[in-house]
Amino acid sequence: MTTAMLTEALASLTRHRGVFGALVADADHGLVVEATVQHGVSADAIAALAASLYRKAQLSSRAAGLGDVSLLRLEAGGGQLCAIGCGEVVLVVVAEARTNVGLLRAEMHRAAERLA
Amino acid sequence: MKAMSVHGWTDAPMRRFVADARVRYAVLLHPSGLALSQYGFTSAIDVMSACSLVAAIRASAGALGTELCGAPFTELYYGGERQQIFMAEASTSRGPCVLLTVFDVESSLGVVRLFVSAFRQALTAAAPSIGDTPPTLGPDFESELQRGLAAVFDRGATPRVTAGGAR
Repeated sequence: MTTAMLTEALASLTRHRGVFGALVADADHGLVVEATVQHGVSADAIAALAASLYRKAQLSSRAAGLGDVSLLRLEAGGGQLCAIGCGEVVLVVVAEARTNVGLLRAEMHRAAERLA
Repeated sequence: MKAMSVHGWTDAPMRRFVADARVRYAVLLHPSGLALSQYGFTSAIDVMSACSLVAAIRASAGALGTELCGAPFTELYYGGERQQIFMAEASTSRGPCVLLTVFDVESSLGVVRLFVSAFRQALTAAAPSIGDTPPTLGPDFESELQRGLAAVFDRGATPRVTAGGAR
């Protein structure tokens, strides 16, 4: 995984309409590896909390015998947050509520494959 | 297990930090090694040891930072196999404080750092202005230390009673 690959993966996600930001976080430590976010969005906070959420979702999913999480999606009043794991990192996207989830999901999977 | 504090004003920020960051242990101390508040430790000896070591590590890291970068380092992280530690400084109207926290897989470095930032702000806001309470480090260090340890372990000794509500 190179910086250019990370930048390209994030660029492919932030091109989507309604995406506020995308970042790659270290899955274990919740630290930002690379981020492209709009002004006012705290990449550090999102990386820390989204990685923590993803880790716990992964544990829950495995405990329930469902296997690994393929996509974690959180809906909130002001938008949505999606996270997908790829090896030692988690790819996170923050977007408006009306963003096309199908397209975003497909692009996230493509980006994750490139990063894996 | 509850957070126990020598100075009442440190109590709420400490409890909030522990709950938010989901850490196993936390101790707030004066840079001299005097414990101000603790969570998770069950023996005074452990707190004393931790505080002494943190004070020494802070002094060493500060000297190293000054040597290498012209300013002391203010945060330090050590990763272990099962547990990790994070140390950070906070400044208040009562003077500088150091927070040592120990966490495991229930938390992460990113989460701990995030809530340490919030803790710093809460501590700064909660600190009484100078004159409302005795100085964090009193002139009689030894008895201050004993009182502090008694307070953080609820051993019934009477800590110095202050207008700020020290416990």
